Amino acid sequence: MHELGIVYEVIKIVDQFVVENQLLKVEKIVLEIGELSQAIPRFIEECFPAAVADTPYETTALEIVSVPAVAVCKSCHNEYGLIEHRKICPSCLSEDFTLISGREFSIKEIAAY
Amino acid sequence: MDELKIFSIKKGIQEDNVKIANITRSELKEKEVFMINVMSSPGSGKTSTLVRTIEKLKGEMGIGVIEADVDSDVDARSVQNAGAKAVQMHTGGLCHLDATMAKAGIDALEVDGLDLVFLENIGNLICTAGYDTGAMKDIAILSVPEGDDKPLKYPMMFERVDALIINKIDVMPYFDFNMTVLEERVRKLNKDIKIFPLSAKTGEGMDAWIDWIKTEMKGGKSNESNA
Repeated sequence: MHELGIVYEVIKIVDQFVVENQLLKVEKIVLEIGELSQAIPRFIEECFPAAVADTPYETTALEIVSVPAVAVCKSCHNEYGLIEHRKICPSCLSEDFTLISGREFSIKEIAAY
Repeated sequence: MDELKIFSIKKGIQEDNVKIANITRSELKEKEVFMINVMSSPGSGKTSTLVRTIEKLKGEMGIGVIEADVDSDVDARSVQNAGAKAVQMHTGGLCHLDATMAKAGIDALEVDGLDLVFLENIGNLICTAGYDTGAMKDIAILSVPEGDDKPLKYPMMFERVDALIINKIDVMPYFDFNMTVLEERVRKLNKDIKIFPLSAKTGEGMDAWIDWIKTEMKGGKSNESNA
């Protein structure tokens, strides 16, 4: 369970952005979390209130956009859901693939005044 | 109040960690110190493997070990007795070392004059795999009693490391551990990985691992792009 540390890291990055851009108030933080990333959205949501308590972000909302793990088959170029198909191409059964999304773990945007 | 605006940030949450890790790597390179990040589950034999390794290499080079544990200094004392310089970091409830903590360990150890530093990460096969520490090489230790199915359960660790030690091969007869199956499973995730079956207890298989360290130290490629 390292989500609390991750949330602190998020707040640090947002805080830098707020200072650099002289923003007044952050209404919402939007995170992009890939299915294969190390962070579990539910845990991130659960520890967010603890991380922002007594900070200027206490009333800031958190939104998490989950990014599915999508692969392209190296043999038949079919695009498929990696987790759903357990890493095996559903059309040709090859296990050779290139990952095109799913490792994302970033701050997408913030809504602020 | 001004109008509510959307600001696109698009910044990876681990970008700063990678930046710090890259700085650490270049500082270590300048000092000609080679750092290896050692990861595994608790009880796989990280410390005993390091003790054996130190005994084999201490006549040729200065070795340091950064121990990271929730509590106690038992590991630091073991590697010190074997002939290495050591620092013990107490990491509280943390489940992995990141680049900032690794840097604190390097500073505490005072690496000037050392040739080889082992960063003994926290015993954890999951979280440790996600963080670049600034080491030149990452290795994992899997011990025979843990089973040959671990690459299936924790693929990220096996995908990421440069080398894998299979420890405790002396107890192989008592476990259903299939080395061929293990190797197939690991190579499927990471085809270039080096695998060293050994026993830190009996010393069997240690030489190939020691040779790998020496070769990598001489000009082994670095981890620069490792995220």
